[in-house]
Amino acid sequence: MPVDFYKPMRLNEMNSSLQQEIKEACDTDVELCLECGKCTGGCSNAHIFDYTPRKIVQLVKMGAEETLMNMDALWTCVSCQLCVDRCPSQINIPRIMDYMREKAYHQGVKARRSNVQLFHELMLDSIKKTGKVAETPLLIKYNLSTKQYMKDADLGRRMFFKGKLNPFSPRVKDINQVRRLFTRTPVHKEG
Amino acid sequence: MNDKVETALVVGGGLAGMEAALKIGQAGYKVVLVEKQPVLGGVLGQLYSSFPRWEDPQALLNNKLEQIKQCPQIMVLTGMLVAAARREANVYCVDLQGTNQGDKRQIKVDAAVLATGFELFDASVYGEYGYGIYPNVVNSLEFEAKLKEWGSGHSQQLPPQSVAFFKCVGSRDRSKGKPYCSKICCMYTAKQAGIVKDMFPEAKAYVFYMDYRAAGKDYEEFTRSVIETKHVRYVRGRPSKVLPENGKLIVRAEDTLMGVPIEVEVDMIVLAAAIIPSAGTKELALMFGAVTDEYGFLEHEIFNPVKAGDRVFFAGACGFAVETQGAQYQGAAAAAEVIGLFNRVEQGGD
Repeated sequence: MPVDFYKPMRLNEMNSSLQQEIKEACDTDVELCLECGKCTGGCSNAHIFDYTPRKIVQLVKMGAEETLMNMDALWTCVSCQLCVDRCPSQINIPRIMDYMREKAYHQGVKARRSNVQLFHELMLDSIKKTGKVAETPLLIKYNLSTKQYMKDADLGRRMFFKGKLNPFSPRVKDINQVRRLFTRTPVHKEG
Repeated sequence: MNDKVETALVVGGGLAGMEAALKIGQAGYKVVLVEKQPVLGGVLGQLYSSFPRWEDPQALLNNKLEQIKQCPQIMVLTGMLVAAARREANVYCVDLQGTNQGDKRQIKVDAAVLATGFELFDASVYGEYGYGIYPNVVNSLEFEAKLKEWGSGHSQQLPPQSVAFFKCVGSRDRSKGKPYCSKICCMYTAKQAGIVKDMFPEAKAYVFYMDYRAAGKDYEEFTRSVIETKHVRYVRGRPSKVLPENGKLIVRAEDTLMGVPIEVEVDMIVLAAAIIPSAGTKELALMFGAVTDEYGFLEHEIFNPVKAGDRVFFAGACGFAVETQGAQYQGAAAAAEVIGLFNRVEQGGD
């Protein structure tokens, strides 16, 4: 949900603890931001973001938690880490994204791009079951769940005949070690 | 060595003037230091703290006053101002007048240092900020006085829960005839906001800025520390409205980094008003044959940044906005010019 342009945000009524929360959870201090925009300048997906990386840092400062959890950028960020790599203040924006994505997920905030969320879930399921991302079953499941049965079918056929798609689900040697990872972290951890 | 007979006049007993008088006096020449106010110190005496080291301006002032006291060459005339000055050969005949009674005095000096300092632009020109209408909208010098009161622990006024600082009030505003940057507001605003957070950790401090200019040794670090460790909130944008609401003040602005309009509720607003030359600077300059620029600041001659005319020098904020260190540099530089001139005269050169 974008900021309402006709009703000014009241800075003193925003969630002033968010900044501190992020500081503790993500070990990154947004107060160090110089507002230079180097993060956005380098971002590979900024052109499809509703809020660019610099603005996301600014939203944390403003305590605009609602906006952060509902924003589209949460689901279109590919966590390429370029923003943090370029940041002169080393603000870890991908980690802030991870944190807010988890928070949105736990609070049941529905992403506008629900397919992205579904894809994340299916992928983690696959890892939980086999210890690996089994691409072919993942793609089939994804297409079935989103009812786009013939999506990428032609590409898939060609990849299959070139031996690029394994129709089976290979397993890691010790699946229990992977499962232990899942029990150690709460529910689904994204990213 | 002969007795040194030359006398210099220093107009203005702020930091720059005191520094100039001290250096000339310590070099053995006579100095008359004239100050309009009943005490020396100027703006320095009104400050609560200084940047970038959080030093006590009173300590600096006391140090200078002590040195002046110990320098027999300096005659201090407080409560007096220059009424007229005439050039006679290489001497200025200066009429001094008391600010209260009809106290009059005439002196002859061989050179003059003008150090009449600055005052703040009248912020009531901005109707939208309500300066002069809402009692809790103050300019930065009035706020220094409040800080002093709070600092002394005897203040009648309750500590604020939130304070907004507006930078560039008058400065960088063509519509108000002041396209120039007043240079020191960024730093003293950072200082004042930092003090608020130090004094009242629960209070919120918002600084509305277009950009912060911290060009000086330790200035950037100083400003960043105010933001990062004292947690003063910098909001980028020039406020456009101040509205009273339930005894508080609502500031309306745009957060230009987000591109959204914002509001913030505060108890007090501090306006970093533009720095302008003190009233009378222009008239004084005329008496001594010095030139002022379109804003009324003294102009310097080519090749010499503290020389305003023949045997006339200047120091401090009457030339342009300057911080305490700069005022001292300029005071000392003007003194060096006077000493050099007098030395040449002693040797029969000038």
